[in-house]
Amino acid sequence: MAGNFWQSSHQQQWILDKQDLIRDRQYDLTGLTEDEYQKILSFFSGIIQVLGEQLKLRQQVIATATVYFKRFYAKNSLKCIDPLLLAPTCVFLASKVEEFGVISNSRLITTCQNVIKSKFSYAYGQQEFPYRTNHILECEFYLLENLDCCLIVYQPYRPLLVFIQDIGQDDQLLTYAWKIVNDSLRTDVSLLYAPFQIAIACLNIACVMLGKENILKSWFAELNTDMDKIQEIVRTVINLYEMWKSYDEKKEIQALLMKMPKPKPAPQR
Amino acid sequence: MQKYEKLEKIGEGTYGTVFKAKNKETHEIVALKRVRLDDDDEGVPSSALREICLLKELKHKNIVRLYDVLHSEKKLTLVFEHCDQDLKKYFDSLNGEIDLDVVKSFMYQLLRGLAFCHSHNVLHRDLKPQNLLINKNGELKLADFGLARAFGIPVKCYSAEVVTLWYRPPDVLFGAKLYTTSIDMWSAGCIFAELANSGRPLFPGSDVDDQLKRIFKLLGTPNEDTWPGVTQLPDYKPLPVYQPSLGLAQVVPRLPARGRDLLARLLTCNPALRMPADEAMAHAYFHDLNPSVKNDRC
Repeated sequence: MAGNFWQSSHQQQWILDKQDLIRDRQYDLTGLTEDEYQKILSFFSGIIQVLGEQLKLRQQVIATATVYFKRFYAKNSLKCIDPLLLAPTCVFLASKVEEFGVISNSRLITTCQNVIKSKFSYAYGQQEFPYRTNHILECEFYLLENLDCCLIVYQPYRPLLVFIQDIGQDDQLLTYAWKIVNDSLRTDVSLLYAPFQIAIACLNIACVMLGKENILKSWFAELNTDMDKIQEIVRTVINLYEMWKSYDEKKEIQALLMKMPKPKPAPQR
Repeated sequence: MQKYEKLEKIGEGTYGTVFKAKNKETHEIVALKRVRLDDDDEGVPSSALREICLLKELKHKNIVRLYDVLHSEKKLTLVFEHCDQDLKKYFDSLNGEIDLDVVKSFMYQLLRGLAFCHSHNVLHRDLKPQNLLINKNGELKLADFGLARAFGIPVKCYSAEVVTLWYRPPDVLFGAKLYTTSIDMWSAGCIFAELANSGRPLFPGSDVDDQLKRIFKLLGTPNEDTWPGVTQLPDYKPLPVYQPSLGLAQVVPRLPARGRDLLARLLTCNPALRMPADEAMAHAYFHDLNPSVKNDRC
């Protein structure tokens, strides 16, 4: 759905307040630091990204799946549903909503098994992916309910394309900004800000990285938008990059997953 | 589910049975659509998901309201606003000819619902009298969005076979894959004529060929001059060359001249020239529309 973000469920129900978000995470943040919590969510966003790529989904579908994932845990503790089950369920639901066509469940499960074994063994060791079709289908219900059936998600990609055109076609700038939008999915910005604001912020970062400050001066100066919000997004994304410099997920994620609140009882095979 | 008491079966929707039910607390009458989850692989069917997510975004007086989605063991139930009947049943219950003011009111409301969908970039794709609900206040609401889809980028191939044959535009009958809001406007035109004729369908074709012939007998067979690109459509086939013989006056004798003009603009074979919903609402035919219909806020 194009162009009607302002009347959408995304705008009306799912742009959350930062204080509310922190409050709703209190349970998880008793056992984990904010930093650890973000690393865990980022890890599973990574799983969604890799799963989506393996299934040859468009980035838009992957982004929607990631936002579903984030919305769910914005309202629920990590112990409600194992994120390793919720992640593929989000991919499954998003692919249907974005009309990519239904991914067969057996293909989804097989892909999960392969991906966990080949790409995430640093986190799961020799463990197999423990879930089956019936788990995904059951989980889909919970997901739908917790999303309050708000399934149409607006993404920054489209506004980004419009802005780039406005600036004057610049493929290098687009490529950079697009990647930064992808990276921003690892943070909370999709829960807190409008997609067009995220697009502007990512453009801003891309301009700085590429030394295109002239664009910053001219184009950004004419924008009629809340620059404080844009700066908040910029800071959040920059913080992510800072964190990545000193953080080795491969070495540290196992310990974090051990600490993560877990559902009880453990899933049945 | 304890909240609702089932009263009676209303019908079968695209993907499940529809029941009339009563909210036990508020005594409000609702329609429950049970979604079958028989395909073990697909989970919640895409058609149901489409309807849920579009109706969640589309809140308008002329679009049926989705109140709630209930989950229970392996079942999904959609709770809709209840309307007394659909337009098909309304036609069946008519004694004699329909009141022409009712035709105007229903047509205006249909266009208003469509204009709202289209402004939100949603195509209905399956308009027909069975999918238009009527309540006892004479309000008309678009329902059954199981085939609807949001259209944005990428505009690629939507499946060609989506609209019930009788309300299908010639471009879709010729296999056009890139259709837009114009698909709904053709259907609206067919429904307009059916309204004016108290429920007699305009083009009750038996198959694609018969459907096209019925259309072209009335409107004339299109060619590259009247519709550039028509011969390039995937399923284009040369058909007998009919001249636009019958005037619309014979087809919809009770409709006044302005109504016939609007009908002609909707029943335009070339989809690029078909009138969009917002323009149709501003057509002179509606100048003397009852203000209570026009001014109604959603």
